[in-house]
Amino acid sequence: MSISAAEFRAKTGLEPKRQGPLVAAARLLGPDAKLGYLFVLPMGVLVLALVAYPFCYAIYLSMTRKYVGVPPVFVGFDNYIKLTHDGFFQRAVINSFIFTFGSVGVKLVLGMVMALVLTSAVRWRSFWTGVLLIPWVAPTVVSALNFLWIFDYSLGVLNYLLVKVFHILPHGVGWLSEPKTAMLSVIGVNIWRGFPFFGISFLAGLRAIPAEMYEAAAVDGAGPLLRFRHVTLPSLRNILIIVTLLSTIWTFNDFQIVYILTKGGPGGATQVIPVFTYEIAFGAQRLGEAIAVALYMLPAMAAVIIVLARYMRKGRGK
Amino acid sequence: MNKGLTARLQLVGSYGFLVALLVMVVFPFYWMTVTSFKGEEQMRSVVSMFWPSPVVTDNYRHLLGKTEFVHWFGNSVFVSVSSTLLATAIGTIGAYALARLKFLGRAFMSSAVLITYLVPPSILFIPLYAQIRTLGLADSLGGLIAAYPSFTIPFVTWLLMGYFESIPVELEEAAMIDGATRFGAFRRVILPLAAPGVLAASLYAFTQAWNEFLYALVFITDVKLRTLPVGLSTFITGDVYGWGYLMAGAVLTTIPVIAAYIYLQKYMVEGLTAGSVKG
Amino acid sequence: MMDRRLNDLAAQLDAGLLGRREFLRKAAVVTGGTAAGLKVLETMAGAQGSTKLRVWLFKSFVTAGNDVLEKQVQSWAKDRKVTVETDWATFGDREQKFVAAIEAGNPPDVAEMNILGPMRYKAALKDVTKTASDIAAARGGMLPFADRAMKLDGKYYGVPRYSMTTVFYIRKDIMEAKGLKPPTVYDPGVVEFAKKTQDPAKDLYGFGQTLNRSDDGDGFMGNILWNYGGGVWDKDGKPALATSFHDQNLKALQFAVDTITKHKIQPPGVMGWTDVSNNEAFMAGKLVTTNNGASLYYAMVAKKHELAPKTLLVLTPGGPAGSFVGASCYNWGIFQKSKYAELGEDLIRYMEEEDHFAEYMKVSVGQAGPVYKKRAEDPYWKSDPNFAAILQNILRSVPSGYPGPMTPASVEVGAQHTLTDMAGRVVTAGISPEAALKEAHARVEEIYKARRT
Repeated sequence: MSISAAEFRAKTGLEPKRQGPLVAAARLLGPDAKLGYLFVLPMGVLVLALVAYPFCYAIYLSMTRKYVGVPPVFVGFDNYIKLTHDGFFQRAVINSFIFTFGSVGVKLVLGMVMALVLTSAVRWRSFWTGVLLIPWVAPTVVSALNFLWIFDYSLGVLNYLLVKVFHILPHGVGWLSEPKTAMLSVIGVNIWRGFPFFGISFLAGLRAIPAEMYEAAAVDGAGPLLRFRHVTLPSLRNILIIVTLLSTIWTFNDFQIVYILTKGGPGGATQVIPVFTYEIAFGAQRLGEAIAVALYMLPAMAAVIIVLARYMRKGRGK
Repeated sequence: MNKGLTARLQLVGSYGFLVALLVMVVFPFYWMTVTSFKGEEQMRSVVSMFWPSPVVTDNYRHLLGKTEFVHWFGNSVFVSVSSTLLATAIGTIGAYALARLKFLGRAFMSSAVLITYLVPPSILFIPLYAQIRTLGLADSLGGLIAAYPSFTIPFVTWLLMGYFESIPVELEEAAMIDGATRFGAFRRVILPLAAPGVLAASLYAFTQAWNEFLYALVFITDVKLRTLPVGLSTFITGDVYGWGYLMAGAVLTTIPVIAAYIYLQKYMVEGLTAGSVKG
Repeated sequence: MMDRRLNDLAAQLDAGLLGRREFLRKAAVVTGGTAAGLKVLETMAGAQGSTKLRVWLFKSFVTAGNDVLEKQVQSWAKDRKVTVETDWATFGDREQKFVAAIEAGNPPDVAEMNILGPMRYKAALKDVTKTASDIAAARGGMLPFADRAMKLDGKYYGVPRYSMTTVFYIRKDIMEAKGLKPPTVYDPGVVEFAKKTQDPAKDLYGFGQTLNRSDDGDGFMGNILWNYGGGVWDKDGKPALATSFHDQNLKALQFAVDTITKHKIQPPGVMGWTDVSNNEAFMAGKLVTTNNGASLYYAMVAKKHELAPKTLLVLTPGGPAGSFVGASCYNWGIFQKSKYAELGEDLIRYMEEEDHFAEYMKVSVGQAGPVYKKRAEDPYWKSDPNFAAILQNILRSVPSGYPGPMTPASVEVGAQHTLTDMAGRVVTAGISPEAALKEAHARVEEIYKARRT
């Protein structure tokens, strides 16, 4: 981009002008600095005021011994060290991983298929899209309570259907009373609630892909599978990454579904980190440790975010 | 022949998938609706599981007449719409800047904005409430309108960054060659093209605000300012659940949003850039 | 506000130098009697004084009682010429609201709390020993269980109001049809009773008691340990789960688990129950007996459920060491940050005045159990034979930590569902009761250590 002073002199016979400090600053800040900063200012202000401060305070609290109404006492990484050796915390971590990855995996596939189907030749698209949104739009508290009732062993409709109507099973299943089915049940409800999010995001992304790209690929002889791999997926790449990443974080932090359905039972089989955090924060009133539980995964997740963010930026631009 | 057959099979498969999904999705909602029309005795028996007998409108009448449901609804609408507008506006311009404009600190900002999700609201609300109070917004709908964008803007921003990036740069460059400023190119070329994304993002923000429970519970103590999720939760008192009212409330809470979305579908334009860039 | 003259008039009104009507008359002159002006005046006159009290009440399932509470608070407010903003917390969201408000420096002035409240929020609560002692003295003193529950380090941070404990429910009609009498001990009493009265083929089970994480489950586990002479803590407040009370606790745990696995007197799926499930099951006619708070009785009576007259409430059955029930004690607290502590105390005294309390108690269908000696003698408790059981249970209830003191550690052990997890591990994960007991004890030790530093 820039040439040396000697070259400049040789080429033009003129003296190179020294760059004033303002010009240097402008170059440093970037060509679109004015508009750029203006556009991110509102976001920056809001995030700073309402996120950064509480966030930093939370991190600080996680390194203290803090009981309600009592000033915090700094203890460094004590809370985190204790958690690492805590069997109940370890169990919560494992459950959280099972819950999160099981759920996100299925939601991803389901959402993708839903988006693909809704951009194909089916009719009444508006209707389907609207209706399939219901789980996502209904209040979580009520949906969870609804499923609590549906899963009930003796009065619930699921067992009623399986046993009395379709005669698939000889007797009902203890959906929420057996450890394995309890985990499957809460995962199922999370999938039910969350897949429309994937579907809608992918749908809007698919609609932004110019039709000609598919036409070009078809002309080149690519069948539907190849078109999917070489046109759809790359175009959706960033959306795919961001939606999956965010859903993973949100599913990991999902509290209400598990709490309402099982409170972490039976016997702690569905105890996930958010429920554990809640018990320590509001049952035991040990705020410092509770926040440490909630933030334990933060460094790992932050690293993932940074790596993915960089990956997405690299793949951008022509 | 062969192509026709595969196309038809594909169609059948597609419809099959949609119907199966529809059943899974709608059944609990159907269950909710049916329960909302059931009377007390029928609810705890297995008599006529799938249809209210008799059909009873008491739950709805009680809900609309004897509770503050209408106020809750109004509060929810006000808070959700306002916070959505705020979040979408801020997020859209922020996303454009982070996606297209070149300035110092852009990389850092785009990661930082996302990291805000790592502290779950279920614990963040404690210091956040203190902050809201410092800003003088405690116990007001304004507090919620200010707080909700804090967890919707990051996603809105990132989603729109994705959309902006998928729009070919040539389009803006073409506009700028024609004499438009950067901002003009943004307004006249990029925004319309990103409309589906903006709509999806604002729907997301709206839904999150509409269903948000914890902040609405903690930041507001005036019973007249309650939002729908908090209001509905008052039908649960210990181990006595007002199932009828709960389900009726849930139905009334869900339907308007679905209807609005079905209506807004029209504006999610299809096949955008076909033909707009030649050669 | 706009006009200086108006402000002066407002100040006079505030200071009580001007009557409301006078104020309106004089102010109307100032504003020229315009409609807008009058509207402003209305609001100014209405907000008499700037004293606003924030009171958090507990929203119980007794809707009639909630209405009485609100009415009494507002009539007190009118009397004292202050405004009161009431907010209602329910079972599920209470803690979060309290914690957030205290941490933000924004707690209410007065709050109705449960038995754990004073201990949990002691740091932010005012010492109300004087008020509590005064009120108690005028009512014959606190009942022993209430005193035990409320006294922390010799002081009171809450003024007791009422108690809501669990009772044992029996289907009277089924019992009489088999010519049986209510059981007084769990083993073999309840077991035999259940076996003789149940009919699984007809979906009727003898006993419905979950061991899942829930108030019902945690309560039952605590009670059964005490019934066998055991408990989580010894009388000095040290962990005793698998140590000093090892044998008793093992027997108790074995019994609890046996009701599901060996005796088979419980419905299938009971381990997936939440607090509401046994209520629903009982009301659907699927259970012969169950343990629950009086909320179930209230629900049936209030809705004129067909099983209400067929339900008998009796003392909770016991074990070799007697019969124990966990205590409950709703109480009033005043927060240190409140600027209106004297007003708060006044409100509490008003609400606890005997005729006011009686009004609340009488619509509560047995929910508002006595915490003071005089109230225990109220004829109300003899008006319904089922109330006698409620009263007796209350009188012998004990708080968490028994036989030791109630401590943050004992509260936390309950909050972390340690006992129900212990039972759950045996029933669903199949580990031996001995192993589960040791596992739970380790947990109790951890919590004990964490709370001591």
